[in-house]
Amino acid sequence: MAGEKISASCYLDERTFRLCCQLFLQHSETIQDGWSWEQIKGTDEGFMKKTVLTPVKSSLLHKQHGCFMQAENMDLLTDDIQANVEDETAGVQAACEIHAVLRYEYHVLYSCSYQIPVLYFRASTLDGNPISLEEVWSNVHPNYRQRLQQGPWDTLTQQEHPLLGQPFFMLHPCRTEEFMKPALDLAQAENKRVNYIMTWLSVVGPVVGLDVPLSYCTEVSAPD
Amino acid sequence: MADDKDVLRDVWFGRIPACFTLSPEETTEREAEPYYLLLPRVSYLTLVTDKVKKHFLKVMKAEDVEEMWFEYEGTPLKWHYPIGVLFDLHASNTALPWNVSVHFKNFPEQDLLHCPSNSVIEAHFMSCIKEADALKHKSQVINDMQKKDHKQLWMGLQNDKFDQFWAMNRKLMEYPSEEGGFRYIPFRIYQTMSDRPFIQKLFRPVSADGHPLTLGDLLKELFPAVICVEDEPKRFQVMIHGIEPLLETPIQWLSEHLSHPDNFLHISIIPAPSD
Repeated sequence: MAGEKISASCYLDERTFRLCCQLFLQHSETIQDGWSWEQIKGTDEGFMKKTVLTPVKSSLLHKQHGCFMQAENMDLLTDDIQANVEDETAGVQAACEIHAVLRYEYHVLYSCSYQIPVLYFRASTLDGNPISLEEVWSNVHPNYRQRLQQGPWDTLTQQEHPLLGQPFFMLHPCRTEEFMKPALDLAQAENKRVNYIMTWLSVVGPVVGLDVPLSYCTEVSAPD
Repeated sequence: MADDKDVLRDVWFGRIPACFTLSPEETTEREAEPYYLLLPRVSYLTLVTDKVKKHFLKVMKAEDVEEMWFEYEGTPLKWHYPIGVLFDLHASNTALPWNVSVHFKNFPEQDLLHCPSNSVIEAHFMSCIKEADALKHKSQVINDMQKKDHKQLWMGLQNDKFDQFWAMNRKLMEYPSEEGGFRYIPFRIYQTMSDRPFIQKLFRPVSADGHPLTLGDLLKELFPAVICVEDEPKRFQVMIHGIEPLLETPIQWLSEHLSHPDNFLHISIIPAPSD
């Protein structure tokens, strides 16, 4: 009908979820961003997974907020440290402050109850000791910490991973609609299709330290 | 014949006799006596075991006490599952009382969620109710309730107040008369022999041509191994609240009457006992 604005659905069916993930994963492969698909044996269900090693500055031990670096592997890490050591001012300090490397594991799952994707993650030290919720909070960049507390997400809580059965942290999905709706409506108004997973992850990911490089926005296509 | 409302009461007041024994790994100042307790099937371990904690704390030094957790025959018990589900899944075919071990150290971080306070239990309980309503009513009923109504559901469970709880919960059990039931049935199927903690999928209570679907129909689709062939001996038991409902029971009726207070139908699949 002329003039009637039909808003895009903020919901995602499971098939579209899988298609969006496949397209996302193709680009990840191209730029070696480390995402993989984990299939549940004997079913057509699965989830996207990525493991990241991150050096943590003294924030954990000295309760200062540190900023948040990401490194794909230990080689890049030592390169960074080298570069910092060469810079005599802030650099040397940074190198001395690196006390630990944490292992963050991010999972993107589909919730059939809410018909949206959900982000789960867990963090541990390299020797396998899990990180507490307090420590996770202290690693969230201060800019995002405030945003996380105010919404549109409720909170970070510990939950049982629905497919693996182990404790993970989860970003509550209740208000996904609030931030997806404007993006989806805009895309529809401009007659563009959107890759739901790419859009969604680039909003929720950075809040918990997950970087989504800009090339995803331009290179990942929407499913047909 | 029992009235449908009687079923609701029987479910709510179901109890499991348990015997709590301190794990031999714990350090004590003197011998700890076991502690006996009747556990409500529909509640959660960490909500009803304050007395167990107080009892064992009497024989322990404060420095040896960390977060309390429970284990049965080597398996850490997930406090966030209803007590009745844990029992049916792990111990239903063993002699009563249910012998549970109590621990105060070496918390199994890879298996159990932390439970630092009752507000964590409340948050978990309410999030289950919200998820169930997302499935039943696209969250319309739960979102129309006020904060004090949500609180009433939790307080009803916490204080074992059937009437207080059902005064609110009955709204979550309604559906438009033109439909045959809820949009989707909130359920989870558990079994011990799988890596996967549970099976949960979208399932409508009424078929496309309008006839009510049964427990058997649900299992045929999601756990066909349970449906036994004519001459074969039964390999599995399908247990809800410690009983085996007939597979012909309409799934809509089960959802309305045998759900837990969290509004989910928790179904345990266990190996049939080989007498």
